[in-house]
Formats: sequence, structure tokens, C-alpha cells
Amino acid sequence: MDRNAILNELKKVLTPYTENKELLNGITEETDLIKDLKINSANLVDIIIDAESAYNIEIDFDSAEKMYLVGNCIDVILDKMNQSA
Amino acid sequence: MISTGNDIVALGSINKTRTCEPRFYSKILSAAEQELYYQLEFTTLPFENYVWLLWSVKESAFKYLQRNNHQLIFSPIKISVLTVDVHPYQHYSGSLQFGHHYLFFRSTITNDWISTVVNEEDDFEYIFNDVQAIEYDNRQYQSDAVRAFALDKLNAFFEGEFAIEKSESNYPILVKDAKRVNTPISLSHDGYFVAYSFNFNPTL
Repeated sequence: MDRNAILNELKKVLTPYTENKELLNGITEETDLIKDLKINSANLVDIIIDAESAYNIEIDFDSAEKMYLVGNCIDVILDKMNQSA
Repeated sequence: MISTGNDIVALGSINKTRTCEPRFYSKILSAAEQELYYQLEFTTLPFENYVWLLWSVKESAFKYLQRNNHQLIFSPIKISVLTVDVHPYQHYSGSLQFGHHYLFFRSTITNDWISTVVNEEDDFEYIFNDVQAIEYDNRQYQSDAVRAFALDKLNAFFEGEFAIEKSESNYPILVKDAKRVNTPISLSHDGYFVAYSFNFNPTL
């Protein structure tokens, strides 16, 4: 799975937690989940758990704290997918 | 370091079933914090509310610390709640640690929300915080409502008109007559509730 495919899948993970769905269409790797997408910080754990289920991976604490930009999320997901391959 | 940090959790927004799943709460609570729940005395606090109580403590602490460490990233598991004391009428207090920083918290739980404020001293005499129910739960309304709520209180305390702006690091700052005011302010919103805290420490 390449970065673009992960980004498209990640949009589905973020959808339930993003009030303005139009913002999701324009996300880039520099998009900040809280500052740009206005996601409630209380949903960050939900997003990590949903990403674990969507990609069949386990995300540890150190990796989870990097997941504030979309690009960081893709880095972590790719890294964990490669580890479990 | 004088700062302030608060948080509110709308209990109507939480997923109780998911909160009680180990894969969820273990991303918020350390093993020691999970054990602490079973040592609480004089409380019938449901586990899901305990998880979100500690979440609100950790989020408040993050806001408190981020004002003086702009690069700080919120990682709930790295903020350790050390003690939780139970008081009458669903009031809670305790202490926490992040690295070499030690902070104290005060929390209140109602049927609808959990509200927390943290401070560097276990003395909240100069800390003002309050919660208000709001009509709508969209982000823009929440953001406008919490600012109006906080400014109402501030303008009752001081002469002149205050405004709330955002720092470059995204935390709220108070401005009066185009000048930044040293009083630290923290704002939070979740669901149909908003909350603020100020630190009116006279040494500021």
C-alpha cells in the first residue's frame, strides 16, 4: 500500500471525527488533525484505535504521540505495516 | 512558572463501552493509574468516568505546561496521575507529574460533565474556573460561546474591555487596549458545555 492509498483510507478513519467533511477532501500530509481539521483531542484515542483496526496494526505510545499531522500518521501506519509484514 | 490549564468532558459524548475496553483505556492510563482506581475510597465512580476524569486531568496539565513549552506534544500516558482524593459531592483532587514538573488538580463530576483545572500549587485561591451549558455543539458556536463566557467574567473583574486572541502556539491569550495581559487563561469545550480558567495570581 503506498502513501496515497493510506491517505485515502485515513480519510475514512477521520470522517466520523471531522465536523466539516469538506475539509477532508483537501487534506495534505501537512494537515494538522486538531488545528486544521478541528478534531476534538478527546477523539485522538478513537482515531488511533480505528487506524489499528483498519490497517491491522498495533500503535505503541511513542508512535501515537507523533500522529498529529496527516503525514506523521501515514509514516506511523507504513512503519507498523512493514513491521507486521 | 505561572500558567493555567483546564478541560471539560461532556459525558453525553463518550462511548462507555469503548472506554471500558483495555485497548482504549490503556492508551490513556498507565498500569499504576489503573490500579489507583481500585484504591479510591468513598466513591462509586464508574470506571468509564474515572478514565475520562484522568483524561481531563492530563489534558489540563498539557495546556498548563504547553504555555511554557511550545514544542510539547500531548501524550496522555506520559503524564502520571499520582494521587486521587475523593471529596463530597463528586469533587476530586490530586497530584500529577510530567518529567520534573509536579502539578495539582481539582475536578468536579456531574451527571453531564467532568471539569478539571490544574495549578502548580495545591492552593487554588487565585484560580477562577466555571462551566456553562450551551445551545449548540458545533465547533464555531462552542468557540464563540466559551470566549463570550470567559469575557463576561473578566469584564466583571476589571475595568475596560478584554479580548481573547490566540498565540502563535495556538493557546489563548488575553489582550486589553491592544496590549497582552499577563493573566493566563485556558478555554475548553466539548459537546454542549464550555469552561474556562484564569490564574489571578497577584505576583503577575
